[in-house]
Amino acid sequence: MQHFSPDPTSDAEAALLARYAAGDGVAARLLAAQLTPRLYAHAFRVLGEGAEAEDVTQEALMRLWKIAPDWRAGEAKVSTWCYRVVANLCTDRLRKHRAVPLEDVAEPADPSQSAEQRLQQAARADALQAALAILPDRQRQAVVLRHIEGLANPEIAAILEIGVEAVESLTARGKRALTAALVGQRDALGYET
Amino acid sequence: MTDKDMNDVALEALFEHARAAPPQAPQALMARVLADAQQVQVTPRSGLLGWWRALGGAPGLGGLVTATCVGFWLGVAPPAGMPDLADQILVQATVADDITADITSFGWDDSEEG
Repeated sequence: MQHFSPDPTSDAEAALLARYAAGDGVAARLLAAQLTPRLYAHAFRVLGEGAEAEDVTQEALMRLWKIAPDWRAGEAKVSTWCYRVVANLCTDRLRKHRAVPLEDVAEPADPSQSAEQRLQQAARADALQAALAILPDRQRQAVVLRHIEGLANPEIAAILEIGVEAVESLTARGKRALTAALVGQRDALGYET
Repeated sequence: MTDKDMNDVALEALFEHARAAPPQAPQALMARVLADAQQVQVTPRSGLLGWWRALGGAPGLGGLVTATCVGFWLGVAPPAGMPDLADQILVQATVADDITADITSFGWDDSEEG
């Protein structure tokens, strides 16, 4: 599995945040370029909807900009802190409206693929997104962070503010629920049986 | 391969696909995020810090204070050979006060009316 999390021993994002707090505009652009796609992707996977994912991402980063002058390096990684804010904002929104509309789910089309391949890829993306939507909030967040974002369990534990064992339990139950939801669709999704 | 293993393989394939094609953050979102960053960012040249830097920091301000003190002292107690500006100013002010008093005196007003 590919892991996207940065080296925990050197938080380059904290250095960029310090530069931003000192008035460096370039640091803000670099930090935004690193964090925005990851936070948006996570929010989109959890919420299943683009506009809400945009709002959550913007709000999380706004909080980061505001806290920048008071940021204490070494206490938490910047990305972990941001993921935690996004996770909490997603939880708040999911509580407000349980039903997640899936009709807006769309993947970017690759012109080099045939129409059949594109349909199959869209079907796979929709199937996974639909299956994720039936998971309870915490399971969904843990599964997305572990198996799609590729974060390590200790970092997920820090994001969700739970123990590592609880993360393992959430991801295991989440995978079982996803498998159950997707069983019988392997042929339709183009996987050999 | 058991059915469970095959399900795991299919699920892992879906995860793999999701990792390969993450949802793309819209450019408009990035623009809004950067606008927020710019709006919230504290510019170092604003407020007292800006004044402090504009004056050249500690060395600049030190020179300014020294020059002010020396100038004030030269005005209060000028060395021999230098014109005593403070004395001249104070004396002229006294003379001016006397003239003003004469002009606005009762007798002057009488002569005007007469």
